[in-house]
Amino acid sequence: MKRKRIFSRVAVNVLLLVLAVVWLIPIVWMVLNSFSTSTAMNTNHFFPDGYTIRNYIELLFNPGGTARFPTWFKNTFVIACFSCVISTLFVLMTAYAFSCCNFRGRKSIMNFAVVLNMFPGVLTMVAMYFILQAIGLTDSHVGLVLVYSAGAGLGYLICKGFFDTVPASLREAAKIDGASELRVFIQIVIPMSRPIIVYTIINSFMAPWMDFVMARLMMTSKNSDLYTVSIGLFDMLDKSRINEYFAQFCAGAALVSIPIGILFVIMQKFYVEGITGGAVKG
Amino acid sequence: MEELMLFDNQGNLISKAGKAVVKGDLGTRLCALMMLAGAVLLIGGASWFGTQSLTWVYFAAGLIGLGTGLCYACRKQYTKGLIFAAAITFAISLAYTASIDYILKLDTLGTVERKMEIDWTTGQQVENDYDHSFKILLYGIIGVAAMILTSLFCFNALGTSYRLILQRRCGKPVNNIMQDLRSLLDEKFHLTLLSLPGLGVLIFTVMPMVVLIFVAFTNYDSKHLPPSKLFTWVGMENLFDLLGSAQNSDFAYAFQKILSWTIIWAFVATFTCYFGGILLAMLLNSKSTIFPKFWRTCFVICMAVPQFVSLMLIARFFGDMGIANTMLSNLGVTGLLQNLGIISKDYIPFLSDPTVAKVMILIINFWVGVPYQMLIATGVLMNIPQDILESAKIDGASGWVRFWKITMPYYWSVTGPSVITSIVGNINNFNVIYLLTSTYTTLDMSLAKVNAKEMDLLITWLFSLTQGDAANYAMASVIGLVSFVICAAFTLVSLFRMQRGGREKAFG
Repeated sequence: MKRKRIFSRVAVNVLLLVLAVVWLIPIVWMVLNSFSTSTAMNTNHFFPDGYTIRNYIELLFNPGGTARFPTWFKNTFVIACFSCVISTLFVLMTAYAFSCCNFRGRKSIMNFAVVLNMFPGVLTMVAMYFILQAIGLTDSHVGLVLVYSAGAGLGYLICKGFFDTVPASLREAAKIDGASELRVFIQIVIPMSRPIIVYTIINSFMAPWMDFVMARLMMTSKNSDLYTVSIGLFDMLDKSRINEYFAQFCAGAALVSIPIGILFVIMQKFYVEGITGGAVKG
Repeated sequence: MEELMLFDNQGNLISKAGKAVVKGDLGTRLCALMMLAGAVLLIGGASWFGTQSLTWVYFAAGLIGLGTGLCYACRKQYTKGLIFAAAITFAISLAYTASIDYILKLDTLGTVERKMEIDWTTGQQVENDYDHSFKILLYGIIGVAAMILTSLFCFNALGTSYRLILQRRCGKPVNNIMQDLRSLLDEKFHLTLLSLPGLGVLIFTVMPMVVLIFVAFTNYDSKHLPPSKLFTWVGMENLFDLLGSAQNSDFAYAFQKILSWTIIWAFVATFTCYFGGILLAMLLNSKSTIFPKFWRTCFVICMAVPQFVSLMLIARFFGDMGIANTMLSNLGVTGLLQNLGIISKDYIPFLSDPTVAKVMILIINFWVGVPYQMLIATGVLMNIPQDILESAKIDGASGWVRFWKITMPYYWSVTGPSVITSIVGNINNFNVIYLLTSTYTTLDMSLAKVNAKEMDLLITWLFSLTQGDAANYAMASVIGLVSFVICAAFTLVSLFRMQRGGREKAFG
């Protein structure tokens, strides 16, 4: 019996070790290559021939013609901040209206919004491009902020689920005491919903860092000063540049991963609740 | 009776407005008449007076605006009436004068092609006054939409007018403007809350969708590309072409291939990750695991790297000359496969042979998706009532039976809806396919002609259809619509499931 237990212990942990190695290989490869002495992709060995931090220094302090990482980082950061503020406000407003206000057509508007939200952005982005072109917002950061945040209200579902758990009696008591709906929203429901607000903020802050498709379509200009991190990095791996920039690409990818990783760890615990629609209740 | 009707204002817009006209006082009827006259003038004006001078538009807009304003003014809400009268007049004049030229050309989408002609006064070559089909379509639709919205607003004003009549007859005071504004922060707070997000959704989600639907019925492609060429309506032709027989059309051929791969992909990708996540979570939860936190962190690290970065790296990793091939060839695997006659070249075509690539894409997607599912599964599995599992164990149920009879039913009941959403998500999984296959060119001529390749999903196919010299926006729109119909079917199922298990408190 004891022997069997030891065997299963070893087996489980060895299996986990193998899986973890498989999952980490690309990440390790990326980090190793970011310290590589050769700028090109090394196709012969997994480990680079020599190590240096030159790639990071080049990337951060010596931006060249194509690689303007500091500018991209700044662009993405500004876009992320603005779209984060707008999206968070929109999500909270929509969620509160659907969760706590009682008005005619509430249910049907809600269902309509859920169906609309399923309509993937990629399908309409061509039409969206033309609309933005008509108002002169392509190739501009304002346009990108709008693309990321204008439709944010549709993603109200998780936040509404959270607002639903705020006891209705609390809101009613406040109203009896003469508080208006606005005060209930700002002074009662918002302070009680800190976790979901953090989740919404982080989520909408991360979107511009992760997004590739929209930015690619909206930024048609060849002026790489306008790029966000994702298109900038994508361009670095272009066939004509990959040999010159592969190591710097890896360095850039590692630098982007650090803030996102930290945010992700903070957000992790909300993530589960979000996906299961808040159904996880002991 | 009237007291009752006051609180029974659940009737819809049209019927309330209708009641206002039938049962309302003289003022309301006058308002309705003015609005009607204005509307008739707007619709018929273009053919009666022409579009050279647009004075009649301002006149009609003024009539409608005045009618709307009067609705409120009759009830002594003078400030509100004034504001609405001005706003409506301004909105209609602006929308109508800006879009009338486009609306009138909506039926043909333009007839004058762009060409250079000589301007005799200066003797220089200039462009003629050409029609831009897409602008006609876009601004025409916006104009019509604006008209519909204003008329709904006017109807609403009539309805409100009727409600105010009833209110007065019951002897209730009518709100003044300050009270009305205050109610926007109180009992009508939802209007304030929803207005901005709603506007955003309207412009950035609904409008592109409507444009997309209309483009699907035109021949908007690279041969009819504005501004140099015109495109026009073709009816259902595109749809029939796409859904027709594969012998006659490359589109139909590509569609059948891509649709079947999309469906296979969506199901396999979703369920491999789903079960992979559960198994990994159970492995991490198992009592034999030492340092479960450490192992979990290893997998979570993978999620911190943005998806497009890891996908691009993996695509290079498995390239024809990539490091995976070098290592396998050093190990002698490539040589072995070559000797067995399984591969013909001196590398393994991980991402450059359609069949191998499809398998590889599924495996890579497994790599990408499992950590996410693992996180969810860990959270859900922790909530399984342990006493049930224990008592089943005491009753002699094996691990296998416990998994299928207790763990899975519980897990499914919690995550079922999210599976349906992730199937929809996978149907539209742009990143994985696009970034992994961006360097691949197809050898199938029929597919190449319509910008498709074997590994494409509907969504990546429609994206490539909007790029390059063989762009076909009309077909891309049709594919978008078909894809939306498929997704909507899944969505509705998930919606019903979500609501059945919902925990929202019913309003009493």
